[in-house]
Amino acid sequence: MSCNKGNAPELPPIPAASGPLKFQMRMSSNPRLLAVVRSSVSEFSAALGFDDKQRRRITLAVDEALSNVMRHAYNNQCDHEIELNCRAQNDCLEFTFIDRGVPADPARICAQPLDEVALGGRGTHLIREIMDEVRYERLPGQNRLHLKKYMPGARGKA
Amino acid sequence: MKAQTRQQSGVTIVDVSGDIDMGTSPGLRKMLMESLKRTSRLVLNLREVRYIDSSGIASLVEVLMKARNMKKQLVLFGLNKAVQEVLQLTRLTTIFEIRETEEEALQV
Repeated sequence: MSCNKGNAPELPPIPAASGPLKFQMRMSSNPRLLAVVRSSVSEFSAALGFDDKQRRRITLAVDEALSNVMRHAYNNQCDHEIELNCRAQNDCLEFTFIDRGVPADPARICAQPLDEVALGGRGTHLIREIMDEVRYERLPGQNRLHLKKYMPGARGKA
Repeated sequence: MKAQTRQQSGVTIVDVSGDIDMGTSPGLRKMLMESLKRTSRLVLNLREVRYIDSSGIASLVEVLMKARNMKKQLVLFGLNKAVQEVLQLTRLTTIFEIRETEEEALQV
């Protein structure tokens, strides 16, 4: 993999036998933590070879997904739990968001046509514009949102 | 996020810095709406904005709509890559008056 790693430290290639590179964050649904997540996701993306532009976009998509959970699933209440799993496979970066809030509205998750004066809906549009795969699941008592971004040249939009 | 107001040639300039996200955009929106009441032309310096999300964009759109309704003017300048990209992704580059420098923004 030959990539611009931005300011991130040079990391050795992931040995195949070591399995995927991954980390997990459990956080309260407090918007003050968004900057912490953005910083981690940005560095993670850079270390995996995404260039500055892709890294900004991936970070934006993750931030928008978390903001949606805080705003809609937890109705802006700051004391609920959100789990974020980040995982790098050989050809892609995957994020899974798990919350125990109210079910998402499928109509809202499907990106709506952009209206310049609309006050909502742009976050979902951004997520779909940036990520290669977006999948929502409602499981008993929890919402799961999966986002996937392929490495440059792997496939999809990357 | 920080936002500071100054006056120049009868124009209100707001210097914004830091991250505009779901946590900080309501405060910025409120401050800009208040500033708009006291001026006919509001100029936003976004040069030091490191990050903006869709809630920040929505706040700027709200202020723009308010300005139009009040027959006032909103001008943005100093947009870095982070801000430009989000405006492009949301296809909103054409609805705002955008200039590169403060001098140009003051001449609009």
